[in-house]
Amino acid sequence: MALIDCKNVVLGYDGTVVAKNLSFAVNKGDYLCIVGENGSGKSTLVKAMLGLLETESGHLHMGDGLRKREIGYLPQQTTAQKDFPASVGEVVLSGCLASKKGIFFSKEQKKLAEENMKKLDILPLREKCYRELSGGQQQRVLLARALCATKKLLLLDEPVTGLDPVVTADFYRIIEKINREFGITVIMVSHDLYSALRYATHILHMKKDGAFFGTVPEYLESDIYKSFSGGEQNA
Amino acid sequence: MPETIELIISQPFLQRALIGGVLLSLCAALLGVSLVLKRFSMIGDGLSHVGFGALAIACAANIAPLYFSLPIVIAAAFLLLRMSESGKIKGDAAIALISTGALAVGVMVTSLTTGMNVDIYNYMFGSILTMSSADVALSVVLSVAVLALYVVFYHEIFAVTFDESFSKATGTKAGAYNMLIAALTAVTIVIGMRMMGALLISSLIIFPAITSMRVCKSYKSVILSSAAISVVCFFSGLLVSIRFEAPTGASVVCVNIFALATFSLIRCVLNSARIRKGKKALSVSVALLAAFCVFAVPLTGEVKVYRKEKTGVVATSFAPFDLARQVAGDDAEITMLLAPGEESHTFEPTAADIMKIEQCDVFIYGGGESDEWVSSMLSSIDTENICVVRMMDVTENLREETLEGMQEEDREEGEEEYDEHVWTSPKNAGKIVSAISAALCQKDSENKESYEKRTSECLEKLNELDGDFRTLSEKARNRHFVVGDRFPFKYLADEYKLSFYAAFPSCSAQSDANPTTIAFLSEKVKAEKLSVVFKVDLSSGNVAESIAENTGASVLTLYSCHVITADDFNNGETYFSLMERNLFSLESALK
Repeated sequence: MALIDCKNVVLGYDGTVVAKNLSFAVNKGDYLCIVGENGSGKSTLVKAMLGLLETESGHLHMGDGLRKREIGYLPQQTTAQKDFPASVGEVVLSGCLASKKGIFFSKEQKKLAEENMKKLDILPLREKCYRELSGGQQQRVLLARALCATKKLLLLDEPVTGLDPVVTADFYRIIEKINREFGITVIMVSHDLYSALRYATHILHMKKDGAFFGTVPEYLESDIYKSFSGGEQNA
Repeated sequence: MPETIELIISQPFLQRALIGGVLLSLCAALLGVSLVLKRFSMIGDGLSHVGFGALAIACAANIAPLYFSLPIVIAAAFLLLRMSESGKIKGDAAIALISTGALAVGVMVTSLTTGMNVDIYNYMFGSILTMSSADVALSVVLSVAVLALYVVFYHEIFAVTFDESFSKATGTKAGAYNMLIAALTAVTIVIGMRMMGALLISSLIIFPAITSMRVCKSYKSVILSSAAISVVCFFSGLLVSIRFEAPTGASVVCVNIFALATFSLIRCVLNSARIRKGKKALSVSVALLAAFCVFAVPLTGEVKVYRKEKTGVVATSFAPFDLARQVAGDDAEITMLLAPGEESHTFEPTAADIMKIEQCDVFIYGGGESDEWVSSMLSSIDTENICVVRMMDVTENLREETLEGMQEEDREEGEEEYDEHVWTSPKNAGKIVSAISAALCQKDSENKESYEKRTSECLEKLNELDGDFRTLSEKARNRHFVVGDRFPFKYLADEYKLSFYAAFPSCSAQSDANPTTIAFLSEKVKAEKLSVVFKVDLSSGNVAESIAENTGASVLTLYSCHVITADDFNNGETYFSLMERNLFSLESALK
């Protein structure tokens, strides 16, 4: 069964439809990139998948034992975070909050946080202040936090915005590693179509009047891709 | 042991201030970190203004201010949160709306009802030194609750503060925790208003957080160090206020400013590229030096502790001070709490004042509106050895009156408000003199004879003064006079059957009359063909001036003897000399 199963979903706020006719499925091990122009409802879909927004109609289901609070989410950074006085260790550990019982974090949770920091090569930074890190390091920290919250699914909302090309490439490689080596399913909202095509297995292209969903080769053959990339080249 | 510390240990009112203050500082510092990081610093300020509004209503309706403000301020906190979350009105605009709105409502309610009375001043500037045991108990319960909730939900509060979207996504009820933070802040603001004052409490929330963020690198260290900074600054501020006889709230804030400057300096040292070695050592020494200053200044040097060599008399205002001086001569030491020129109706005792009262033999106060702090203060100290003279107990009292044309101060039905300026009639002054004399004779029987001798001399003089006023009243061609000010002379006017029109009641601290009042009084001056309009000493005299301008009358001053200007005080003016000035001015006005 699919991790996320989405059929004929309509999304909107207070009756205003933002996206309609959404149908797609995410299976274990997939790497799905969600692309589309601004205002096509990408962020709204993210909210719906996180369970923070009800669908207007259609059905959006979690399967394969995935529960909503078990999605490892990497939100867009806020300005307030950029100068937040917290250590790397504290930020990563806060990813374990959903599974915390009682007042304090358990030993296992602390160990999990440490392992995830090791996986992302940020263990030496654990005592460092989050606000003093570079943009790429900050993204790794947030990624480690997201990994603490999930064993199955990562959901990333425009993670490379504001990063320089070298760091961006580096970041894509980490995501790839997480997807291939750790077997964690990845859903990424992205503006970076080139990298999406390079790393993803599936593409969901959202448009006001409908969406395309399919594997990367299918997408490359689609009209929506041709008009979109053609349009981009003209622009 | 340094004197200041000794005082805190020995004085119950200072102990209460210390306990309440330390707990409040802790709460404020912890919440402050979240609020500052969430870009919500001004919520404290907004809520304290709401607190002021609620307080004004509570005072008008005669409800205990703390119990009334608490739910209102909590409700306002929720409302603020809702407004900024829904995104229809941005956070800072929402706060500005609610805070200025509440302030306006507060001022309206105050001016339509009780006027700016002592209670309201107490809450604007705080009165940590006159807290009763019940106040302290309530503050302790509330602060402990705030602290406990904060500790229990520490990790959740961190997660929600750092990243609301992430915590929502992982199933943390971010909305609920935001509510919790807002509610805890509201509680802290309300108890803080009692101690630090509505105008200063938000600094206690913001300063320690900002200060520790200069240097600290992890959330836990920010939390711990702002708690520590807050407590240290409060303690040092309390010491400073004792040492320099300064208001406690303002002292604490000043120490906080100093701490912020110090930490900013340390940050500069740590970030400086030029200093390569010994950065840590240098910052530690800066910190130690600052800590030394913070404690060394208030701890060294002598505290001006009141030590009497003779029988000690403490009087709150000038009239009783001077009458006691007449009776006591050189046999007793007389202290006046209100400094010359100080506004009586906004007086707030310093630690030194309270200790003076504690150690004196005879304490004389009026007992009216401007002495409202006295009763809570007396209940908080040991009064066994003090002979307390309440002037309004030894004289007959007249209700404060609102006359035609006077700017109204609506009072609740059944609320008895007596005019406290009892000494303005020489007859009453005689009764006060006898009471003071009796108290002195009881406390200092050795000098009984000389007290009694001076008392009879003083009564003699008062009799003469009474005779002069009576003659004035008999000879007067006209019995009306107009005062473009508050009117503290009701006892005088009643005694000698003079009638008057005035702009405000006796205790009003207002000085801006509305146009109707000025027009009415100007009409009266014209109708009665008066050549003089009066102002009261120490007032701006604005109202009297504009009436004079309207009518061509001249402005003369009447002296209430409540407070005296510094010049008059230094020139050795007395109750008698000031009353003679009044007599003279009235003669020229009434003939």
